Amino acid sequence: MPREKSVISKILIFAIFVGLEVASLLILLNNGALQRTWIAGISHSFMAKTWGATQSARSYFSLKKQNDELALENHRLQEAIRRYENSFIASDSASVVVVEDGFSFTPAKIVKSSANSQHNYLILNKGSDDGIRQNSGIVTPKGVVGIIDAVSRHYSYALSFMNTEMSISARLGRDGVVGPLVWDGLRSNGAILKEIPLQIKFAPGDTVFTSGYSSIFPADIPLGVAGTGKVVNGATNEISVSLFQDHKTLKYVTIVDNARMEEIEEIEKLQEEKR
Amino acid sequence: MRNNYNWTFLLLVVAQLLLCNYFHFTPYVFLTLLPALILCLPTRIGTTGALFIAFGLGLTIDFFAEGLLGLNALALVPVAFVRKPLIELIFGKEPFEHQENLSVQKYGSLRISLALIIALALFLVIYILADGAGTRPFWFSAIKLVASLFASWLLSLVAVHLLSDDER
Repeated sequence: MPREKSVISKILIFAIFVGLEVASLLILLNNGALQRTWIAGISHSFMAKTWGATQSARSYFSLKKQNDELALENHRLQEAIRRYENSFIASDSASVVVVEDGFSFTPAKIVKSSANSQHNYLILNKGSDDGIRQNSGIVTPKGVVGIIDAVSRHYSYALSFMNTEMSISARLGRDGVVGPLVWDGLRSNGAILKEIPLQIKFAPGDTVFTSGYSSIFPADIPLGVAGTGKVVNGATNEISVSLFQDHKTLKYVTIVDNARMEEIEEIEKLQEEKR
Repeated sequence: MRNNYNWTFLLLVVAQLLLCNYFHFTPYVFLTLLPALILCLPTRIGTTGALFIAFGLGLTIDFFAEGLLGLNALALVPVAFVRKPLIELIFGKEPFEHQENLSVQKYGSLRISLALIIALALFLVIYILADGAGTRPFWFSAIKLVASLFASWLLSLVAVHLLSDDER
């Protein structure tokens, strides 16, 4: 019994202490504006922390639901990507062709290529069924890749630019001199611009473009930048060119077909016969 | 000689009022005798009685001094709440069992000082925090606490000497 009395007494003393402290605090708050603001700030901070903790706990327990929702969203997005990819493949197989100045452009994918010999080649996934013809050019936004050499129904065989037999007509600068551009036989992005007259001034860093003089490639496709030159046989310059397109990293290309090629060839043939 | 004690207690309350009203030499020092007055209450007065005395005393000082009403009461009530455990911790159970009041002669200045410093620190921490209301930088409050603690401790030792007259 005395022990119980002692506990009750302690509780009572504590209650009196709390009551007197609260009374003091209330009196203080009624008389001090600064104290009122301070206590209000503490109170708001405490409430914010309490609510924040409650909210965190609530968020934690709702994570499973959020995970489920995210999984559903993820599934929906994956479905959308799959649909998009399927539609892309369908349009790709139908050979989307864009015609510009007599040139038609057909996207293609390299299915096989060689890069380690002096006579490198490419095999593309587009053939005669897609309207691909022999002697069509192959380009990318970064330059010239090769020329179609043979065509089957579904595939094309092309000579890569990395082929010592390949030569394309190139121009030094947009309005500069034209010469044949050939692979340097060493690097996958190295070439040599030949037959540049000695009197032609150039500077390392000049851009080299397709000339448009051949009926295979459109004009003004940027190919690379000029490096140093050297005099050959005392008659012409040979300029090293660093190509924009690294031929070892190729995967997707565009086949360029000149619909007026026959017309050009016919008129050439006619003139030769007249001579 | 309870009458003597009561008069001394009353004089010390008046002294505290004078300190509150006229001691404004520096904002870094706040002089108080109130924790010593509560600590040296006769041991026959229990915690409940001490709580009410502290509350009343605090309000009286607040009312007559140029302070905020409730500020001294807020800081002094906790001193009364810890008075018994503090005395038992430093002086043992003897003072309450034999209803012996605290005296410097019996318990020595060192133990009296220790009890005073703890009581003063508790009072001053609450007082300075509530008085500053979050507007004072920490360093100011810290300097004020240390300076006030030292000054009030010296003053409180004198008060305890006066209150703990053996003839009481």
